[in-house]
Amino acid sequence: MNKLINFKIDGISVEAQKGETILSVARKAGIYIPTMCYISKTSPCASCRMCVVEAEGVEGFVLSCNTPPTEGIEISTNTPALQNERTNIMKLYDVNHPLECGVCDKSGECDLQNKTLEFNVERQSFSARDQLRPTQNWGLINYEPSLCIMCEKCVHVCNEVIGDDAIEVKFGGYSSTIIPKNSETLDCTFCGECIAVCPVGALISSGFKYRANAWELSRVPSTCAHCSAGCPLEYETRHSSINGENEIYRVKNNFEFASLCGAGRFGFDFDNKAQGNESAFNRAIEAIKGAKAIRFSSMITNEEAHILQLLKEKLGIKLFNEDARVFGEFMKSYSSVSGKVHHSGSLDAIKQSDAVIIIGGRIATDNPGVRYALTTASKHNGAKIVYAHPMEDTLMQSVTTQMMKYEVGTEEGVLALLAHVILSEADLSDSERAFFDELDFGYLYAETNIGEEELSHMMNSFSRAKKRTLIIGNDLIAHERASNIAKLAALIEKYSDFSLVVVPREVNTLGVSLINTLEHDENIPDVVGYNAKGDFVISSLEGADLAVAALNQQEGTFVSIDNRVLPTNVALSFHGYTLNDIAKAFGIDKKNTIDYTQELNKKAGFKTVAFDDLENFLSPFGDDNRGYLLDEVACKADGELEELEDMPEFNGTIVYHCDPVLQFNNYTFKAEQLPRENFLLGSAQFGVAARISDGDNVEISFGATKIQRTFKLDSELKGTIALNPTFDISVDASRYRFEKSKIVRVV
Amino acid sequence: MHNEHVEEHFNNRNVTELDSNYYMVDIADYPADGWGKFKRALKRSFRGELFVGLWVVLREMIKFDVHTVQYPAEKMPIGPRYRAVHEMKRLWESDTERCIGCGLCEKICISNCIRIDTRVDENSRKEVTEYSINLGRCIFCGYCAEVCPELAITHGGEYENASDQREHFIMYQDMLTPLDKMKAGTQLEFEGFGAITPHEDERVKKTPLAY
Repeated sequence: MNKLINFKIDGISVEAQKGETILSVARKAGIYIPTMCYISKTSPCASCRMCVVEAEGVEGFVLSCNTPPTEGIEISTNTPALQNERTNIMKLYDVNHPLECGVCDKSGECDLQNKTLEFNVERQSFSARDQLRPTQNWGLINYEPSLCIMCEKCVHVCNEVIGDDAIEVKFGGYSSTIIPKNSETLDCTFCGECIAVCPVGALISSGFKYRANAWELSRVPSTCAHCSAGCPLEYETRHSSINGENEIYRVKNNFEFASLCGAGRFGFDFDNKAQGNESAFNRAIEAIKGAKAIRFSSMITNEEAHILQLLKEKLGIKLFNEDARVFGEFMKSYSSVSGKVHHSGSLDAIKQSDAVIIIGGRIATDNPGVRYALTTASKHNGAKIVYAHPMEDTLMQSVTTQMMKYEVGTEEGVLALLAHVILSEADLSDSERAFFDELDFGYLYAETNIGEEELSHMMNSFSRAKKRTLIIGNDLIAHERASNIAKLAALIEKYSDFSLVVVPREVNTLGVSLINTLEHDENIPDVVGYNAKGDFVISSLEGADLAVAALNQQEGTFVSIDNRVLPTNVALSFHGYTLNDIAKAFGIDKKNTIDYTQELNKKAGFKTVAFDDLENFLSPFGDDNRGYLLDEVACKADGELEELEDMPEFNGTIVYHCDPVLQFNNYTFKAEQLPRENFLLGSAQFGVAARISDGDNVEISFGATKIQRTFKLDSELKGTIALNPTFDISVDASRYRFEKSKIVRVV
Repeated sequence: MHNEHVEEHFNNRNVTELDSNYYMVDIADYPADGWGKFKRALKRSFRGELFVGLWVVLREMIKFDVHTVQYPAEKMPIGPRYRAVHEMKRLWESDTERCIGCGLCEKICISNCIRIDTRVDENSRKEVTEYSINLGRCIFCGYCAEVCPELAITHGGEYENASDQREHFIMYQDMLTPLDKMKAGTQLEFEGFGAITPHEDERVKKTPLAY
């Protein structure tokens, strides 16, 4: 039982939970304590000393941001002495701060400006010799040391939430600055979270610098359209040049509680500038009339998916979407054991966990939202994180407590072993117990390359954990044995205290899998592609036969990894037709696409809520008020575990489909600011095995696919698996992400 | 002094009172019958009132004491706060443009006729790449000049605009003080709202420099 601590702030009685600080209690009670360096999602920086308060019976001032209250203490937040102290702090912040507010990008939303006015600092009594502090250009991020007030928010966020740990404070009194850690220049994943948290104009997006001012931009709250984390963001728009239409100038986020990766922050200009015309529209109608199937991607809204489903029912055509199909089938197998439709975990659950197993995915680039949640868990709860994957990932090194390296293709065996140790004392049914009893452990240890001692080490490190999470990555979803893997994962969730998170591949894979009934993609003629390949392509990408709006040009909803239905909004206008216009031509008649929001599949847990009633904000205390959570849906649990199959062997040169940092799909590929490094990355060992060297142009063939890439040596990689990016091509999402491949040098 | 209420004595402006300074214009009643109207028509036709006016013109012409401003050869002096076509000022010390591209004029413009575009230039400074005022829309309210923190945009006295295209009315280069004028030191400083008051220098306090 948690005991509450009763005390008083400014004469008002308040209660604190264990672990809460005076500042957080005061904020909840609506009592104002000014701060400059405090940020809710990290541990207190305690560098500004603005949050000082007086406690009765305690000599001197107390920092409210990192001091927990004691029973019965009386705190005063606003005495003349405190006011004087704070005013002096503000004066010190203003010493030699360049008076360039007129051109500074932060002007108008600057904490230093606000607080200087709030404390009425109208004259300066302190001084210091100014020094030359040249601007640092770190690629996407620009650092202006002379504007920096050394609040250290950026350092804390980078280290505690993102996990890059790429910047640090170079201490030196008045000449302190922020510097890249262990590097000449900034070497990080360029999430830009440091830009977001910077209270002044010191850290600025290079692409935005001096292009617009805070007061000129209109803000459109929306949801990131790049991965399934569904991070909240705000597009900021303004007219382009003097006669131009609106364009997105930058993306901001509620950095106090949420985070955003670089693709979300810098990859916003994926809007479709092409226009739809009437003859193309008529041809599209004809194409659909003659089509046997519509192939589509998961980068669409729930409403579009719903319209496609209505079209399918009306016209009797097939729907192809391999990515959502394999995900849907994975979740169906999961449901057949767990007895419910949705997985239990969420990003918040990961953040609060103190023990996490993550298996089968290069999560740092697959879904940065999960990575940030893991970093938060690691740094704030000291979480034990087991990272199970055939390849090490340098981005995960700082948070991983145990690397569990298994052989490619043996995921089913690995999960069986995990389930066995986790459920060793669980109250399993007879048939389930029999499944584990019949396992051939010698074979499994040998084939998976996971030792018994590794598993027992894991269980020992988890022994004192209270909140545990199992994260299922993408490799397992498109696995040949996905169905049994899903059942094993469901078993772990069902019989242990692990919560489960299955990571969907694309932004709305989960939503599409809940709304559409999908067929196995056959290579048949007369297929209309909707944001996908086809004989007639309706797409928001270049080269489409009919142009439609991209995800930042339309209203609708996504379903995120949290099973949350999130609204996305129109940041930029689109001149042309939408899927709804096509549906209208077939007699599926609703005025707007968002009229379908309340009609989404109730059997999958969607609620009867109209789009315009969906909220999209985080409360001042960080409560998520975006959209709604899907209802929990129960279903029949009649699934039986299947016997394990023999583990496949992957020898020779293997490529692993994995996008580099900041890239996800064709839309991020379009973004101006994001690097487009589509190299085949491999270790020196891989180079030797494939007989290629750094800089060679190679042809990679796997299955029926042949692609050309330039090979690049990556000193951080090991082994004979190379990373093949997929953001510029589309790969068959139903295939296992590791591919036995033939690599030939082309001249 | 200004706290005391000073009783001001205005003229009696009550039109109903006989001792007011107002008096009724002596206008005869309109004729009501046909004969009366006929007499009025005759009187108006033959009294030669036209020649009274013509004589005044002739007399004034012969006297050569002309008060008419001979526009366009002559122009009336324009007050410093007159709000005609905008001017963009330059800095006295460096002759560079004063505009810092803050966008406040664009934001405040109530007829939405100002558009600016900025970028970071080769010297890592903010550069105004485009500045346009659509004078076809401008209502010359003066808000842009009022809000400008740098006294960069002001209203000038140029009120003669003629062109076959509205777009020609205003080019940034035309608004900007020409360099030769700047070099000659003849840029006129704006004296309207927000302008620097006289003796401003004496009021500036130095930052303490203890080191």
